[in-house]
Amino acid sequence: MATAEETLAAIRLAYPEGSGVAEQPGGDMPTLRVDRKVLPDLARFLKNDPAARFTLLADVCGVDYPGRADRFEAVYHLYSPVHRSRMRLKVPVPESDAVVPSVYSVWKAADWFEREAFDLMGIRFAGHPNLKRILCHPSFQGHALRKDYDPGQRWLLREGEQDMPAWAADRSEDEDHFETQVINLGPSHPATHGTLRTTLRLDGEIITQAEAEIGYLHRCFEKMSESHTWNQVIPYTDRLNYCSSMMNGVGYALAVEQLLGLEAPPRAQRVRLILSELSRIMDHIVDIGANLNDIGAMTPFLYMYEAREEIYSVLEACSGARLTVSYVRIGGLANDVPHDFVDAVRWLLGRIPKLVDDMERLITANRIFRQRTEGVGRLSAEEALDWGWTGPCLRACGVPYDVRKDRPYIGYDQLDFKVPVASEGDTYARYLVRVEEIRQSLRLIEQAIADLPPGPVITSDHRVALPPKEKVYTEMESLIWHFKWVMEGMKVPTGEVYGYTEGANGELGFYAISDGGGRPYRLKVRPPCFAIFQAYPHMLVGHMIPDAVAILGSLNVIAGELDR
Amino acid sequence: MTQREDRRVELPVAAGPRQPDGSQVFVTTRLEKLIDAARKNSLWPFPFGTACCAIEFMSVMMSHYDLSRFGAEVVRFSPRQSDLMIVAGTVTDKMAPVMVRIYEQMAEPKYVISMGACACTGGFYRAYHVVQGIDEFIPVDVYVPGCPPTPEALLQGVVRLQEMIASGETHYQRAAAKAKAAARE
Amino acid sequence: MNDTIVCRPEPMGLLQRLYLVEVVKGLGVTLRHFLGNLFRRSYTVTVEWPEVKREYSERLRGRHILLTREDGSPRCVACYMCETACPADCIHIEAEEDPSSASVEWEKRPGVFTIDLLRCVYCGLCVDACPKEAIVMSRHHEMAFASREEAIVGLEQLLQKKPIGSLDLGYRPYYGEPRGTISLPIPVKAGERQAGR
Repeated sequence: MATAEETLAAIRLAYPEGSGVAEQPGGDMPTLRVDRKVLPDLARFLKNDPAARFTLLADVCGVDYPGRADRFEAVYHLYSPVHRSRMRLKVPVPESDAVVPSVYSVWKAADWFEREAFDLMGIRFAGHPNLKRILCHPSFQGHALRKDYDPGQRWLLREGEQDMPAWAADRSEDEDHFETQVINLGPSHPATHGTLRTTLRLDGEIITQAEAEIGYLHRCFEKMSESHTWNQVIPYTDRLNYCSSMMNGVGYALAVEQLLGLEAPPRAQRVRLILSELSRIMDHIVDIGANLNDIGAMTPFLYMYEAREEIYSVLEACSGARLTVSYVRIGGLANDVPHDFVDAVRWLLGRIPKLVDDMERLITANRIFRQRTEGVGRLSAEEALDWGWTGPCLRACGVPYDVRKDRPYIGYDQLDFKVPVASEGDTYARYLVRVEEIRQSLRLIEQAIADLPPGPVITSDHRVALPPKEKVYTEMESLIWHFKWVMEGMKVPTGEVYGYTEGANGELGFYAISDGGGRPYRLKVRPPCFAIFQAYPHMLVGHMIPDAVAILGSLNVIAGELDR
Repeated sequence: MTQREDRRVELPVAAGPRQPDGSQVFVTTRLEKLIDAARKNSLWPFPFGTACCAIEFMSVMMSHYDLSRFGAEVVRFSPRQSDLMIVAGTVTDKMAPVMVRIYEQMAEPKYVISMGACACTGGFYRAYHVVQGIDEFIPVDVYVPGCPPTPEALLQGVVRLQEMIASGETHYQRAAAKAKAAARE
Repeated sequence: MNDTIVCRPEPMGLLQRLYLVEVVKGLGVTLRHFLGNLFRRSYTVTVEWPEVKREYSERLRGRHILLTREDGSPRCVACYMCETACPADCIHIEAEEDPSSASVEWEKRPGVFTIDLLRCVYCGLCVDACPKEAIVMSRHHEMAFASREEAIVGLEQLLQKKPIGSLDLGYRPYYGEPRGTISLPIPVKAGERQAGR
């Protein structure tokens, strides 16, 4: 295993001074400023050199700095599962000639991430196979995340202006004089969860070509976060992965707390852990249940939904809302948990395994289910890493990468749990991994609830968190802190951070850039299912339509996170 | 600031059964009341679920709250077989033509419940890709607030729609009454 | 890594491949649920709304209430903090001078205070931001409107109407002490029809 120093030494050797690669000191991870001409070469070096082996491209995004000579910056985040290290690449791009060579030939994960940077920022990627808009609709004009774009400026999409892929117009017959058919699966379809559209070319029932289209739920989270204060963004983060809304808030709060250089109190960390694991259980229940529903097994979903309702009760008693909790605050939690929180969670721990056992009794050894899911949607570990997969889908292919073990946060290193891994990489393996993850989460909660540390649930630093209410009503100084906090927002020191946690689907990253003010300068979300779903059209070739439905359910694509 | 056309969908309405010579039959109110009661107690919802509200809608359909106690168990994913469209979740500019096409494919009588802040007004997404309320495109009968609304709030919305159907206040019934009155003159 | 657990698909035995045994086992599970629902009323999880209502916690974020002082005037001093804190911009306030204030404790009162209940996302940031505990949220969450205009509520509809002890309050400012209980299994309010729980 190479350390960060060895990796940097190897890079310095291959790219000496003046060759276009410069190190940027400081920061939360090694950062290189790269000249765009050198980028494809450096990318290949970083992927293949034994001291680097950055095989996972986590994120590509664009940032707009209107004051600089090179207006845009394309930022790449890389991860090496072998050396467990991270790296950031920054490529300055001038506005007059906003072209960067694409790294799609090195990491296939760049496919949709570069399309998104083109759509929202206007940076063109030379050599990309399919550079067109991905999140905004085809009649959209302008690039929405540029600083000079008005957030409320809308463009109407009329009927008939929607996109069909270029290959759909091909009506040729094959040598047996059979025509193939092009159909749409979605965007309003009972089996596409949320709003996903896949265009399929069918030869009878077999799929020969596929292309996915997303963006039907693009709610402009990143633009909204630039016009709201750091704490006002928290309700927006709830709506990202809405099946497990607490985890998004925790990930965001951890990233901002890293920028601030403070840690939430131990009680807050422990409660965040417990509620995150409960949210993970909720998300897996919905995913497995919806997958089973699409395959035709409707009963287990009804049984397991009861578990969700009971977890809702606990979340609602803590925060005030069932689904979109907004419970997290920067520096801790909004308020303390109720008196009987520990008893209620213990009751849940007795109840959920029974419901999951019922479901397993019906499904896991069921011949029909196994025949529908074994061998369907198989992806090898190298391909999955190349596409940027993380989370249960990657672990089902055999790569044991879990952020909770890789870089533990909020106390995961003090608790004992195992990471489920399978080796087949098909739909059945993903199902097995998720069920086992539910059981491991229950184990984590049991250990965490055994000793809940007492104390405050929010930091006492009043530049970050609201002062306690009884002081606000009586003391002038607390009232002034309160007033400044609400009106101007909490000030975060200048800097950037890529904070990542293990969401229910995989690595949920928040790349936050602060300019010292009360509002984020740029907040990029790295959604786990964005990378997972871009491989889906390529997995479909050779399968039948019912297999397409089974695979889609097992990938757990949540449109709120996918489209932000 | 926004560029949009006012596209109200005009409902072509049937004004009642006709005699062979073209004149209208005077339908009795008792029969209308019976038909309205039948319609309101057997709504077949089409869940146009896009976002978080769809998860709460799933909660309503599941055993804990059970929408089928109000007659609306048959959730049909084909618009041609349903009469109540529940728009649950944010509708973006990219999804709006899809929603309009589905609304136009529904057969009459049809009702629309707009569930959640995003569907009613755009919620807190005053943004470049979000429709600020689905009534820019289709007529809405009941607005259910909340983000997401609790399942009881949605059930109360369905009950309110049932009351509106019984008293003839929905868009479809008002348009039908207007067409009938115009045809009588 | 020794902290991984490998999930291997179990090879199917003859009984499982025959499938009839699995069918019977599965039917056993569903039959257990069916008979439980039929004969034990406490087994059924359905809440028969509207006769029986589920009891939400004391922190539910429902419709807003503007609290009043003892003399009936609103506690709100039109400081605009809730309007600034709201991420949805759904609160609209217009301040006016309060000539009736005898002391120097406050100078303004809200002349216009409207909340667009259909824009509101019920996040509670306004309650957190209020320095006077003037705006709180109640547990009233069942409001369906027939038009968008009906949903814009003003000062008259928001002001507290009953004594504070008898209000069904939900989300209130946090004082640092845990308050409220969860009480699972989910409690229900008995209505006209007994739930049998």
